[in-house]
Amino acid sequence: MEVKAPTPNSFKIEGAWKPLPRSHWNKETAAHLFRRIGFSASPEMIQLALKSDSKDAISNAFANAEQLEMPDKLSEYRKTAHQENVRIYRDIKDPEEKRERRRELRQQDESLFREYAMAWFHHALKPENSATEKFVVFLQDVFVVDRRTVRDSPALFTLQKTLREGVELKYPELCKLVSREPAMIRYLNLDRNTAGKPNENFARELFELFTLGEGNYTEADIKESARAFTGYRAKNRYEFELQLNRHDTSQKSVFGEAGDWDGDDVIDITFRQPAARTFLIRELIKFYLTDEIVPEAYIEALGEQWAARDFDLSYLIETFFQSRLFYHPAYRGKFVKSPIHFYLGLCQDLHLDVVPFEGRLLQSMNVMGQPFYNPPNVRGWLYGEHWINSTTISARRQTVDYLFEPLNEDKLNGNDKRDLEAAREQKRADFLVTEERLAPLLAMEPDEIAQHLTTYFITASSRSAYQPVLEQIISAADSPLAGVRNAIIALLQSPAYNLS
Amino acid sequence: MESLPLTRREFIRRSAGGGLGFLAFTGAAPSFLAQSALAQTPGPERDRTILVVIQLAGGNDGLNTIIPHTDDNYYRLRPTIGLKNGLLPISDDLAFHPSCGPLHELLKEGQLSIVQNVGYPNPNRSHFRSTEIWETGSSSDEMQREGWLGRFFDNTCSGTPNEDADPVGVHISDIVPQSYLSESSQAIFGMKPRGRIDGGRDPADIAFEKLLAAEHIAGNASYLQHTMMNTLVTERRVEKIISGYKPKSKYAYNNLSQSLKRVAALIHADLETRIYFVSQGGYDTHANQENNHARLLAELSGAMQAFQNDLTAHKKDDQVMTMTFSEFGRRPSENGSGGTDHGTAAPLFVMGSQVKSGLHGMAPDLNIAQNKDLKFSTDFRGVYSSVLDRWLECDATKVLGHGYEHVPFI
Repeated sequence: MEVKAPTPNSFKIEGAWKPLPRSHWNKETAAHLFRRIGFSASPEMIQLALKSDSKDAISNAFANAEQLEMPDKLSEYRKTAHQENVRIYRDIKDPEEKRERRRELRQQDESLFREYAMAWFHHALKPENSATEKFVVFLQDVFVVDRRTVRDSPALFTLQKTLREGVELKYPELCKLVSREPAMIRYLNLDRNTAGKPNENFARELFELFTLGEGNYTEADIKESARAFTGYRAKNRYEFELQLNRHDTSQKSVFGEAGDWDGDDVIDITFRQPAARTFLIRELIKFYLTDEIVPEAYIEALGEQWAARDFDLSYLIETFFQSRLFYHPAYRGKFVKSPIHFYLGLCQDLHLDVVPFEGRLLQSMNVMGQPFYNPPNVRGWLYGEHWINSTTISARRQTVDYLFEPLNEDKLNGNDKRDLEAAREQKRADFLVTEERLAPLLAMEPDEIAQHLTTYFITASSRSAYQPVLEQIISAADSPLAGVRNAIIALLQSPAYNLS
Repeated sequence: MESLPLTRREFIRRSAGGGLGFLAFTGAAPSFLAQSALAQTPGPERDRTILVVIQLAGGNDGLNTIIPHTDDNYYRLRPTIGLKNGLLPISDDLAFHPSCGPLHELLKEGQLSIVQNVGYPNPNRSHFRSTEIWETGSSSDEMQREGWLGRFFDNTCSGTPNEDADPVGVHISDIVPQSYLSESSQAIFGMKPRGRIDGGRDPADIAFEKLLAAEHIAGNASYLQHTMMNTLVTERRVEKIISGYKPKSKYAYNNLSQSLKRVAALIHADLETRIYFVSQGGYDTHANQENNHARLLAELSGAMQAFQNDLTAHKKDDQVMTMTFSEFGRRPSENGSGGTDHGTAAPLFVMGSQVKSGLHGMAPDLNIAQNKDLKFSTDFRGVYSSVLDRWLECDATKVLGHGYEHVPFI
């Protein structure tokens, strides 16, 4: 039966953000947490989590996350990229050669970007990194920067690194750090914003997309704030510098507060506006909970609490994921997985490595609608139902099919062959579902298999409808192995598997 | 085994729970029902021109496809893999690879044009990136997500995507080609080169359909179910068309031939689809390329001829044009392993009864140093522009952002 979404009448505001009572902490709620905070809910994770409570489960999900190290080649490139650009600009006179060298440099950057993308998928796949990386993806959808425009892999890498470290910061602090990131400086033209010649791009997006939302600032606030952010630039390509001679030191009046504000001051003032309390929470809900409208009263209540904790992000994460509202039955099993969630969840559910072929993996993210670090515009991706159309849904089915078909090594191109060799050396070449992988399930009876699969792969809402069908598929097959294989493929392609 | 439902109506009626249970939770049901009455009616657009794109994935060696056999430079650059015997003459200076007999015949019949030395400025030699450049129709220093055919769909199939219509694009490959990615949602249909489209007796697909029919929840789940069901209904129709198709020429058993046979079947059935995309892999010939490349070209030529003859026999040849593309050509100088490394420009083929047969564009200049690359003479977007403006009748500047000089093969 359809559970109605909570309203302040049916579900009290005062209780909404209180921790889920221990008595409600069970297989279902734990699975809900893991699927939303990360990409999947394995039997092992759930068993472990039930020994303790949701608070521990949340802090454990972040506790053992590793840093993503900058790939060696990228870090080498970072050391020389600035000088190399200067050299080309200054020393090479022949225009043809100049262009040629620039092009080579750009191609090098592109190839490093793909390596970085692959490194990120490997990193995010590890269960201990999943919650952090999912939060990073969330922040990347707030602080949108795209690879098409910025085209500088080291800068993109460090922006993402800052967001990763931001998980433990206060949100205003993170906003300040982001305003100093070379990738952001370039993306929103902060380096064009100088005293006397202000560029309002960053100031506008700071209010509209990072902190307040539309309607909560005036054009005058933008104009004044833009002057406060003048003089920002990336020195030697990768170091932040405030150029005092290009910084406007005169008086600015932002949200009624007058002074000779600099960028950080503006961010502090921004967080004194009521809209700053709720903006990020609304984004958090859209990313993690539901694409339906959640009554403002709930959002305001959490906003109060969050503001009282100085916008501490760890507090927000802990409170949000522990809350009764988060576990409300109306919000379970209905949210369309993003392509990243779908793909990494698929690999985790099947205990597979990421597909080692750069072209294959990046292209399938592309056709599923979420190319790495490349959102369509400054607003970022729209979550929920927007992921689904006939093209993307076929792409998801093809992604599943690919995992169940034997690899034809003769058909691989040279790059792919190298990728495969490297994956084998690093012992992460288990990226396809082999018979051995399915073997453990064969010891079970068809009804047990059906129950097992539906418990761990999908949410409760479709379970009762799917179980008998799966059981029948397994029993009716020519061999137990074929039965299990067919059942799993069907389940992974079903509507329910696309939801969390 | 129970026969499979062929219309949306039947599908709905047979869904678990029987009766009209499904209608209760999908707002789109009425158009499903309307469609079942229309399903066999030829669409209003059935006489429009059709484009078939053949991807040669991996980077086809252009210099060993169209051979400049009177140029000493060719043999200087390719002392061991340079071809001498069995060449099939095109002009005084150029000849086909010996495996291209069928293409040679098509040329003599006036149904094949060869656009020489096609590429783009500042070539990229990465498979991934160069494929992306070709598929998006962008410059090498420009990043685009949408494909050139996707933008064609956006420009011609505007308005609300109609779920009852035939797909605007069909691809036969295991991944949606980037060429098809569009701004707005467009109905794209994909299938494999062989085997039943709808799974048929493939138990994994039957299982999937059963799960799809078992679903009974609202919200996003029913939206997903709805989208998937639409695809399934298309699968059914396509399967029926393909399994009942009687080709009038002989298709070989390789994937490319089988893919083109499927395309012929759908064209014969008057689908409204205007773009088809098929793919042949294996062109990344870094080592011992002689036999491999010969086999690939034999498959390609044979498949193209079988397809063209089939279209002609079915009187569809006036409506269809077929073109090939590959992400790059290969290095003029052979490497040390009897193969060739990634290069730049290469010829491509455009086939059809409406094309201006023969050579177009300028042959590459081979007077280059060891290990240097060819300089393209025709921009691939000029080829696209001609196809868009003159064949698909869609303003190419809207799709490509700029005007490019047409290549007069239409």
